[in-house]
Amino acid sequence: MNTASSPSSVARADAPRSSGSAGPRLDGPVPDVTLPLRFVLFGIFSLVSGIVMLVARPDLLAAYHYNQHIVAITHVFVLGFLLSIVSGAMYQLVPIVLETPLHSERLARWHFVVHVVSVTGMVAMFWVWNMKQLGHFGSGLALGAALFSWNIIRTLLRVRGWTVVSFGIASVLFWLGSVVIAGLALAAAKSTYELNESSGVNPLLAATLNGLRAAQSFLARFEPLAVMHSHAHLGVLGVFILVTCTIAYRLVPMFVIGEMQNPRRAWTSLWLINAGTAATFLAVLNQSPLKPVAGLISASGLLLYGLELHAIIRNRRRKTLDWGIRMFLTSQSLLGVLVLLGLGLSRPGIPLTPFSGQLETTYGFLAILGVAGLAILGMLYKIVPFLVWFAAYSRQIGRTRTPALHEMYSTRLQILGGGSWLAGLAVTIAGILASHPACIRAGTLLLAASLVTFAFNIARILGHLVHPQLQPIAPRVPASGGPLRTTT
Amino acid sequence: MAADVIHLDARGLEPPQPMIRIVEALEALPAGAELHARTDRNPVHLHPFLAERGFLGNSTAAPDHEYGFLTIIRRAG
Repeated sequence: MNTASSPSSVARADAPRSSGSAGPRLDGPVPDVTLPLRFVLFGIFSLVSGIVMLVARPDLLAAYHYNQHIVAITHVFVLGFLLSIVSGAMYQLVPIVLETPLHSERLARWHFVVHVVSVTGMVAMFWVWNMKQLGHFGSGLALGAALFSWNIIRTLLRVRGWTVVSFGIASVLFWLGSVVIAGLALAAAKSTYELNESSGVNPLLAATLNGLRAAQSFLARFEPLAVMHSHAHLGVLGVFILVTCTIAYRLVPMFVIGEMQNPRRAWTSLWLINAGTAATFLAVLNQSPLKPVAGLISASGLLLYGLELHAIIRNRRRKTLDWGIRMFLTSQSLLGVLVLLGLGLSRPGIPLTPFSGQLETTYGFLAILGVAGLAILGMLYKIVPFLVWFAAYSRQIGRTRTPALHEMYSTRLQILGGGSWLAGLAVTIAGILASHPACIRAGTLLLAASLVTFAFNIARILGHLVHPQLQPIAPRVPASGGPLRTTT
Repeated sequence: MAADVIHLDARGLEPPQPMIRIVEALEALPAGAELHARTDRNPVHLHPFLAERGFLGNSTAAPDHEYGFLTIIRRAG
């Protein structure tokens, strides 16, 4: 028996594993594709909602960010957009990466319901600044996060040994739990409590109220802005940037046909980002002069990540980079700008002036919509077509001709959307720095225009679920010189 | 007598093309023959379909110092 093709000297980083239809995993590890898709669609809806709010109220970004409306819009983006898509992507990718089924799809479906209700309620309560009801909806979000973490942890525990990716996922879950607890504590600290203790009080209620009061008095030791900023760093760095790095270590080699080049470097990068997240949280919370040190720890982890990503791209086997990957890589280069800005802002003794306040707003805006947002938009062009293709066409393989993924949407619109997103980021940031509402509106309109192209493409992709484009399969050509060879 | 072996190299293709190539090749697989398919990644989406369409398959890391995975597939029964 002959071997099939020309040998390659490329080393394989994956540990040898075996899987098969004759083995115990007859149903395969792949979850129902509608599960991640519903999180993705709610995420896109939230992104559109947030941008529409900014177009309607550009004045909010022209002033300092510590106000209820900016906090509400920020949570539209971080919970409605980013966390929804991260959750959906995890439910899709974790079983595939670990080659084991998700612990419970039913729990994940409950997570979706709880998540949507909680995020919607939280945003509304931020907008009207009702801290009591915010705490209730926030508790719902915490329940959803707990369901999500339980599901993913149980799935992780099915696999022996740790890889870079499973370590990254576990770290993200830890920081997700931390940021949710910190957020609930923040809401508790801003509430007032009244309890008529003279007329028989339910002991559970009394204990809960005492706990909330304790959280309130503990957080009263810290400066309110510092508490909010430390909470924000936990979420953005510990959850969204760390998850981006982790998923990139898996998806980028898959999409460019390559391998992780230096696993030790990848491990070190994630350890440093974890350490940097903890150090940044503590330093920001305590307004410590050691903030630059914490920033440098995070920056060194992100630098190693950038070096590894560059090495993966440089050694890829597919020479052409499609536009989804290009958008993702552009977002990761913006990460470098973000790190420099963060290090600059971490210098002790910077007075809070109108300009330094707008620099802080720029920092948050760039992190959420520049780095995490663009990364997700790029990856969605890889993930959504695949999910829809799988739902619409996978049963037809070999029986009819199915469309290629890039045929499911317009590449021209994708390029136009990516360009207008970058232009929108640049113009909005210029408006933020100049505290110029008209400029901010122009920038957010460019972001909205980008989303129109994105929505058009997503609608076109989803249209395949309703109207599959099936064509008769071409007559089979005898294999000679092609990828098929026969031996005995 | 050794079984006929069809070799398919589906490396370098973006998902889901490897799965399409493999399933299309299986549609024409003669009785008693085996398909030896090479892919860059473990084809986790493929195995449920193999079972559904009456095939048995097993994927392992390529055994001959090449990159990727080797999936050996034959008709069940």
